[in-house]
Amino acid sequence: MQKVLDLIKNPSFKIAILVFVLVAFSAGLVGIYFTQIPPEQPILFPHNRHVNLQIQCLYCHSGAWKQASAGLPTEQKCWACHGQLKKYFDPVVPVSEWPIELQKLNDYAVNNKPIKWVPVYQVPDFVHFNHRPHVAKGVACETCHGDMSKKTVATLEQTVNMGWCIDCHTKKSANDPVLQAKLLDCGTCHY
Amino acid sequence: MSEKLSRRDFIKLAGTGIAVTSAITGCGPASRYTTREPYTKMPEYNYNGKSTYYATTCRECPAGCGIVVRTMQGRAIKVEGNPIHPVNLGKTCARGQASLHGLYNPDRIQEPGTRTRGDSALTAIDWEAAIQIVSDALTSDPNSLVFLSGLANDHVYDLAVELCASIGAPKPIRFSAFELFESQATLRQATKTVFGSTNPLYFDLANSDVTYSFGAGFLETWQNPVANTRGFSKFRRGSDKRGYLVVFEPRMSQTAMKADEWIPVAPGTEGLVASAIGKLVAEAKLGSAPVAFKSVNIEEASTLSGVSVETLERLATIFANAQAPLAIPPATASGAPNGLGSVISTLNLNVLVNNLGKPGGLYLSPDAAIPAMDSSATYKDLQDLVGKINAGKVKTLFVHGLNPVFEFPASLGFEASLANVETIVSFSTYADETSSIADVVLPDHSALESFGYQRVKTNTLVPILSGAQPVVAPFYNTMSTVDLLLVAGAKAGGKAILPYKDEVEFIQAKIEPLMEAADGYFNGADLPTYWASFQQFGGWWQNSNSSTAPVSAGSLDVAPQISTELSIGEGELFLHTYLSPILAEAGANKPWLQEVPDPATTVMWNTWLEINPKTAEEMNLANDEVVKVITEAGEIEVSVLVYKAIRPDVVAIPFGQGHKNYGRYASNRGANPADLFGSTVNEAGDLVYSSQKVKIEKTGKKYPLSRMEGYTKLERDLGEH
Repeated sequence: MQKVLDLIKNPSFKIAILVFVLVAFSAGLVGIYFTQIPPEQPILFPHNRHVNLQIQCLYCHSGAWKQASAGLPTEQKCWACHGQLKKYFDPVVPVSEWPIELQKLNDYAVNNKPIKWVPVYQVPDFVHFNHRPHVAKGVACETCHGDMSKKTVATLEQTVNMGWCIDCHTKKSANDPVLQAKLLDCGTCHY
Repeated sequence: MSEKLSRRDFIKLAGTGIAVTSAITGCGPASRYTTREPYTKMPEYNYNGKSTYYATTCRECPAGCGIVVRTMQGRAIKVEGNPIHPVNLGKTCARGQASLHGLYNPDRIQEPGTRTRGDSALTAIDWEAAIQIVSDALTSDPNSLVFLSGLANDHVYDLAVELCASIGAPKPIRFSAFELFESQATLRQATKTVFGSTNPLYFDLANSDVTYSFGAGFLETWQNPVANTRGFSKFRRGSDKRGYLVVFEPRMSQTAMKADEWIPVAPGTEGLVASAIGKLVAEAKLGSAPVAFKSVNIEEASTLSGVSVETLERLATIFANAQAPLAIPPATASGAPNGLGSVISTLNLNVLVNNLGKPGGLYLSPDAAIPAMDSSATYKDLQDLVGKINAGKVKTLFVHGLNPVFEFPASLGFEASLANVETIVSFSTYADETSSIADVVLPDHSALESFGYQRVKTNTLVPILSGAQPVVAPFYNTMSTVDLLLVAGAKAGGKAILPYKDEVEFIQAKIEPLMEAADGYFNGADLPTYWASFQQFGGWWQNSNSSTAPVSAGSLDVAPQISTELSIGEGELFLHTYLSPILAEAGANKPWLQEVPDPATTVMWNTWLEINPKTAEEMNLANDEVVKVITEAGEIEVSVLVYKAIRPDVVAIPFGQGHKNYGRYASNRGANPADLFGSTVNEAGDLVYSSQKVKIEKTGKKYPLSRMEGYTKLERDLGEH
């Protein structure tokens, strides 16, 4: 017993314990970090190309002006345009020679497999975000989502937390106390 | 607690532990790792979590009720009545509710195919080949082409009529088991005899105070049961005076159960009872009876029908004193040798009390919203058709919206005659008895995937054209029959080319004249606007009543020619066959309907033979015993159900089961009483089936019926506790 106590009192043992705790703590932090980075999107969708072709946001994310979620386009919708692009759908160009992302799309569409998109903007489960009133009020998509004409895959442009929401709600309703009361009411988002 | 760790320290430590655990596990939203899968194919006008509603028309029976179907992301999930549709005002029956089981039926035919006669499997073909087959049929000898159609597909029938007229083929033949069991041809001919009109009669049950029904199951299947039920509830509770209903029929039906009195008359004597009541009413009101009722011998009527003279007199007094008396003609009993006479007698009863064109009386429904409301074929026409097929004069047979091999009684010999037809083309949505022997099967979309329209023929005082539109995109590789006929016609060339591009253009051409029709529920300045409203409201109808009062054609002054023959066939018991109020002719492939207990007996999933306890005792029969029911035409085996509310000299079997090949839910379940029918027709050309005599033999087998309630205990009477 005395031996064990002596060992504990040994400074090198104390240092070893400290190192172990630090390593374990760091490993925990790294673990948490990894839970917070989203996986890669199944298709590296070039938003910039589509936006620069003058395709409206609401054409693909058509839920944004009618419902809570903006929605993701169906493959049917992708294929409605891509199926007409002569460049790739000429029989002389085999699928294996298409750009790699289009090959992926072809695989999904032809086999009727759903594309498992990774959400970029997320709010906790106790927050109800609804696109519809924002679009109805005329908030432009890029206000929150950034300039998609310069991005391929979507990226998180804001720190999506309550302070950010409240900040904007406060600014937008500065001249209207009735509206402000509504916009800052807890029940507006937490219900 | 030890000395080294105080209680306070322990709580601190535990608190820190909880905080650290929550911080580590509670970071970020719980939905962090989710991915989102959009639909690969999703119809338009759909938003997540929001329903889209479409107004269309129920095609489960020919009544033409308007329905509104709730859809969710391209799937139909609920059928309700269309609240603004005048015929059903938001209500549906069980069959309408179950129409979803038609859409999602696992036994739907999913692609066009051909087969060598006798094979069961189909070889898939593409629609190009299918169009070629139909086009070849249209270019062959038009006289050898026959188009058989059901009753609930007006727009397909109309196009077939146009196409056949154009190429010189005989007019399509419409029929259904509904026609047979309601003996509609008899009612049509009687209406013509008594009122000189071809328009259907409207029976204003809602405003009547005393109604005598001579056996029409108007709350079950007769005409439009949904509209009749609404009328009935108004009859009972709509005014201060509760309506009084008396039902005369040998077996207590669901309608008779709701009546104030059920008079179990002998089969085939319904007309005689009506005449006897007519005579007594006339004598009480006018002093003497008109010619039509004069010759009736009250005692004889009483003996034959089994209704005492006192009862007849009592009922006559009630009818004579009623403010708005109404007599509803027989349905089942019209299919008796004296059926036409019976219906005429009942209609005469209405003429006698002069309720024509008065509230609670008879009206003539207006002409259809769009012209060419053809009446269906009679059973006599079908016999002629089979004769023609047997003579080898029919090379191609088109079948749409009808399952003739099942719906035509076996004694007609239709199935056997098909060996003489070179090509049978079925447009059926489901695998059924007909499509499973057809050479070519070109499936139409199911009703909820189709455009169309249906004229409302019965239970209406205003012209109504119910509109149908797809509520979901077609699930399978099916094709609208109208489109198919148009494309094939264009390919065949010559007279087969009709001036319509597709189905929608055809329907638009048909409804275009209604755009400017006076007093419409809506009108349209241009066709696209009008078409949009037509889809939105589920059809078009006129706002105000345009029915007419029937005018007696002097039938009271004609002595009736009622055949004295009261039964056909050999045997000790009468067979009373009725259309199952739940399954009717084509509902057996829908599990929801199979699962609905029969309203009178609570039996599900099977066919049964109702027999009076007294007769059962005499014959030493008990519940669930399987018996053989025999006529000259055939025999079937059914389980016995002892049923108190039936005459001792009558046994009853519902029609609806007994399918040989109608998908997994219906095949080889129960028996088909139509196999017992002979081939005699009455004066109006309807099959005589309701006065059929049968023999019953024990088989020694037992097959339990699944029922909601226990069996009637023989030791207590109805109403006793």
